[in-house]
Amino acid sequence: MFSKNSGVSTLTLAMEAILTALDDAGLSLDDVDGLATHRVGDSTPPWVVAPALGLDGVSWYLDQFGGGSVSHSVVGQAAMAVASGVAGTVVVYRAINARSEFRMGGTGRGAAPVFDAQYQAPYGYFAPPQQFAMYARAHMNAYGTTHEQLGAIAVRQRAYAVKNARALKRDPITLDDYLASRWIAEPFRLLDCCLETDGACALVITSAERARDLAQPPVLISGAAWGGGDSFFSGVPTDFTVTEAARMAPRLYAMAGVGPEDIDVAELYDCFTYSVLVQLEDYGFCPKGEGGPFVESGEGPPVNTHGGFLSEGYVHGVNHVAEAVAQLRGTAGDRQVAGARVALSTAQPGYVLAGTSALILRGER
Amino acid sequence: MTRLDPDRDSAPWWAAVDRGELLLQRCASCGVPRFPARALCNRCRSRETAWVPARGTGRVYSWIVNHQRFLPDLPVPYAVVCVRLDEGEDILMYGNLVDAAPEALAPGLPVRAVLRDGLVQWTPA
Repeated sequence: MFSKNSGVSTLTLAMEAILTALDDAGLSLDDVDGLATHRVGDSTPPWVVAPALGLDGVSWYLDQFGGGSVSHSVVGQAAMAVASGVAGTVVVYRAINARSEFRMGGTGRGAAPVFDAQYQAPYGYFAPPQQFAMYARAHMNAYGTTHEQLGAIAVRQRAYAVKNARALKRDPITLDDYLASRWIAEPFRLLDCCLETDGACALVITSAERARDLAQPPVLISGAAWGGGDSFFSGVPTDFTVTEAARMAPRLYAMAGVGPEDIDVAELYDCFTYSVLVQLEDYGFCPKGEGGPFVESGEGPPVNTHGGFLSEGYVHGVNHVAEAVAQLRGTAGDRQVAGARVALSTAQPGYVLAGTSALILRGER
Repeated sequence: MTRLDPDRDSAPWWAAVDRGELLLQRCASCGVPRFPARALCNRCRSRETAWVPARGTGRVYSWIVNHQRFLPDLPVPYAVVCVRLDEGEDILMYGNLVDAAPEALAPGLPVRAVLRDGLVQWTPA
């Protein structure tokens, strides 16, 4: 339904449009596992709409930046998601109050960049180190995870960065250095936090057949998975110690035909030390709650062999994929993991009302 | 810090805070309380809803003590708490710990809401 003043939020418009389309198709929300939209700062993204609808187990999402120029690209990408098998039924929506709230190029007012900010920012809670510190504290409360265990992650990753000429931080650190670094937001210290980095990183994706004729050894994408994220909405799980990665990982491993025991090297999204710890649990390297002792023991595959976002630099994840590729090609120099054939590379595991995604890559050496 | 613009779902909730009232929505069909405000119950998908007073009590689920001066006008340190409301394990609200030192914080600490300066704050019950 169109109007000049809907009187409702773009979230409501999105939910009504989705329910109407499903009803028309003779489907229900239980049939939907993909959600896609596009926005220019004027609407509500899939990971807010999904939990608001009580949509469970989203296996593909798309939040494309853009206005009218990308509307059909969203449909095309949804078709690719279905054709590749990562999603069975995708709903594409676009929900705007483009007359009464957010006019194109008009009032200068945009929709809130994140839905939950209005309930958090007035209390001085808005920065990622604060948000992930809140999640880490919940893990400490539930499982007795310690500062020293978080520190073990920072120290080990720095040791890798020492061997990485591209890394921004190459001075070795000890656990004492970690414990002496200043508080940012308890329980996080400075050395729990990734670097703020200027940089760029790019990947070339083509067919395996074509890749085999090119200048570098190919690395194959064996698995790719998407997942919904956590939620600030009541009515869906609100346990900060379990991320969406836990629900997504079985899909990812199944697509690649491997399990955690087959991973030779893991590049795990490390915006903060804690996100590594929780992903070691949620990707099945150790049981839930045992991430602390696990990182202290040094068990499991080598993790963040370039130093990660904590010590190499933070390009929001694409540098993780690039490091996995280097390891699988055998070009990682002093930090090369001997015989690495299968790598896991992950995105943010789904905190802060975001989705998640991950790749399993395979070398051909 | 100042409040952000409410959205069309949250405007009545913030207006109630300004009147000194802490509200929740309650699904008129299945009776489940919900927060933050929105038009549809994500359990039974009913659109029928009513505003009801919250008890204003809960337990501390997690917290941070912020030391970094992220904004020039924000004195540090300060504590931010995440509270599970007594109406339901799945209802989370954030706020500052007020009228108590951060050392008082512990998992499961009972707290009550203090509506102050247009915000919802929390203090040990």
